[in-house]
Amino acid sequence: MDAEQGSKQSQWKTILKMISNPGEAVKKKMTLVPWPYALLISGLSFTLFFLQTGIDLYRVGNIGIERVILIVMIGLFYGTAGVTLLAIMSWVLAQAGKREYSIDWAISNFALGYTVALIYSICGLLFSLVFNWNTAVAFGITGVLWSLRPTMFTIKQMSGDATAFSIVLTTICGAIMLFGWGLLGRFGF
Amino acid sequence: METRTFNENDNSRKKIFIWPFYFCFLIFGILSALGKQEITLLNFSLSIVLSMVVGLLIVNFLILLLRAFNKNLINKSGTVFAKEAVGKGMAFMIPFTVLAMLVFFVLDWNVIMPFASAAITTSAANAGTEVIKKGGNGLKNMIIPTALAMFLSTVWMLLLAFLP
Repeated sequence: MDAEQGSKQSQWKTILKMISNPGEAVKKKMTLVPWPYALLISGLSFTLFFLQTGIDLYRVGNIGIERVILIVMIGLFYGTAGVTLLAIMSWVLAQAGKREYSIDWAISNFALGYTVALIYSICGLLFSLVFNWNTAVAFGITGVLWSLRPTMFTIKQMSGDATAFSIVLTTICGAIMLFGWGLLGRFGF
Repeated sequence: METRTFNENDNSRKKIFIWPFYFCFLIFGILSALGKQEITLLNFSLSIVLSMVVGLLIVNFLILLLRAFNKNLINKSGTVFAKEAVGKGMAFMIPFTVLAMLVFFVLDWNVIMPFASAAITTSAANAGTEVIKKGGNGLKNMIIPTALAMFLSTVWMLLLAFLP
């Protein structure tokens, strides 16, 4: 009886955690995932985010289908190579090696941090396809912003809880991600 | 058994600054006013007042709730733990505020509220995490600040939409 009650309570806890912080809850369940698989999460997340951008621009007649495919490819590159570079940069700057955090761990955590962006990207794509809404900004940007939260926790952990350093590095990571996407429009996409 | 009582005026503790976070709210208020199609003195002032009120509410409600739900920590270290946690947690509003300014002025995007909402929720959750580190209950201190932040940021967004 107690075991059954305990299991029910644990289920409620998981549900509440999923509502309050879905990205972190999924990330926790996947901490043992090797970094190449973890990059699938961030890769897919940015691919879908950039696909929405392509669909939005295609819908208003700004670009053709081949440009949409190119944007999707850039998204995939951004979510894999881009996130890896960001993780390596943060690992080096935070001197995380001294605190026994491996570079694989850093890449894995950075990539899994984009789980919440993936959830937003999937929802955004559904709204885009079903209701014909322009969703890149509303869902895509929001997803990237919410992903800064796990990124921030990872940086804090890597830097040994250095708050000021974490704030600066999180700002830089967020700026790189947002400006990279923003530049799509500046380069004629 | 000797029990050590906690002195809230203990000089060894670091001073807690809350004003930088009110400054973040002020910036969000200014940016959301500047993002309006027509800027008037009335909607500019109302936008700033609204953001400051939301700031005051979130900081003070957060401190009150963290105290109310962590009686065990009050017995252990006094009531100042909540203010310390909020001070440390709310510092994480800064990246979102800086990013909001960058995208508004450099990229010319008029999307301030998603930044404000993410800023409030992330920093409130961070405050909860600080309390957990001190020995508070994990689930309560994660859910309650997040729920409060989500509620207040939604109210903020709705009220902002109704401004003239």
